[in-house]
Amino acid sequence: MKSIRLAAACLLLGGCATSSLVLLPDDEGHQGSVAVLEADGKSSESIISQGNSRTKLGEANANPQPLGEKGLKPEEAALLTSLPPPAKSFTLYFDQGTTTPTLESQSVLNALRAEIASRSGPQVEVTGHTDTVGSEEDNDRLSTQRAEEVLNWLVSQGFDRSLMLASGRGERDLKEPSIDNFSSATNRRVEVIVR
Amino acid sequence: MFRTPIAIGLTALMIASPAFAEIARIKQSSGIAFVERNSQQLKPAPGLQLLAGDRLVTGKDGRMSLTFVDNTRFAVGPNSRIAVSEFQYDKTRQKGSFLTQVDRGSLAVSSGKIAKSDRDAMKVRTPNTLLGVRGTKFIVEVPE
Repeated sequence: MKSIRLAAACLLLGGCATSSLVLLPDDEGHQGSVAVLEADGKSSESIISQGNSRTKLGEANANPQPLGEKGLKPEEAALLTSLPPPAKSFTLYFDQGTTTPTLESQSVLNALRAEIASRSGPQVEVTGHTDTVGSEEDNDRLSTQRAEEVLNWLVSQGFDRSLMLASGRGERDLKEPSIDNFSSATNRRVEVIVR
Repeated sequence: MFRTPIAIGLTALMIASPAFAEIARIKQSSGIAFVERNSQQLKPAPGLQLLAGDRLVTGKDGRMSLTFVDNTRFAVGPNSRIAVSEFQYDKTRQKGSFLTQVDRGSLAVSSGKIAKSDRDAMKVRTPNTLLGVRGTKFIVEVPE
C-alpha cells in the first residue's frame, strides 16, 4: 500500500523519476548501440541495441522497452527537431598543376555557397589535395594553395574568414591510390565540410 | 631570474592543453540559456566557439543546439546542466575521446566520428550511469 502511494506521489509530482535513455536509428536508418559501462557505481556489461526503445538507467541489467504506439513524448520529439542539420561534404576538382577548379566544379561552388548561407552559426573546413605528379614539398604547397583559393572565393562571396579553416594534405590522402608521378583527376581535389 | 621557467611552463601548458582549441559551435539557442566557462557566463549566440570543459546550462523553456568538429550534434532541452568534460579529436586520423556529463535535463545526440573511431571513445555520464556510445542517435533524460 505504501509503495502504491509512493508511486502515485511520484506520478503527481514527477520528482521520483529516474534517468532514461531513448535509443533511435541514425539519419541513414542504421541502428547503433549504447553500452552501459557502469550502473549505480558498479561495472556493467549490458548493451542496449534495440532501436526505438526506452531504457531506465541505473540498473545493472538494462531492460529496453519498445516505444510502441505512444512513441516519443512531445518534449522528446521537440528535442530531436532542434538537432542541427548533419554536416555536408562537397568536392571540387582541379586542372593539372593549377589552383583553377574544373569547369564542372563551378556549379559545386555555387551549391557550397548556398549551403553555408542556409546555416545558422556555420563552420567550414577546407582541405586541399593533389595527385602524385611532382615532389611532395611542391604538392604540400599546391594543396594548401588550392584550399586557400576556395577559402578566398568564399570570402569574396561575403562569408567571414573566421567561419573557415583551410589546410593542405599534399599527396598523403589519395582518393584513388596510385604510384608516384601518376596524373589523377580524382586526386586533384579540395574537400569542403560544412557544419 | 624566475621568469624563464615560468614562461617555459606556460608555453608547455598551451601546447599540451587542447582546451584552447575550438571543439564545437553553437547553432541556435532560445529562452534562458548560457555557456558556463570557468566563472564566466557566455551568451550562446550562433557561431560561438566552445572549448573543452564548457558547461551548457538552460532554464525553463531554454534550448541550445550545437555541432562538434567531429560532426557530433547536440540538442539541449530545458532545465539542463551538461558539461563537455573531455573532448580530444585528431582531425587527420579521425580519432579522439569525448566525455559528456549530464547532471540534469535532457540531451539529444547524433554521434559523429569519435564514436565510430574506437570502442567507447565517446562516453556519456549521468548521475547513476556511465554509457559508451557506439554510433547512433539517442536521448538521455535526467530528471531533477
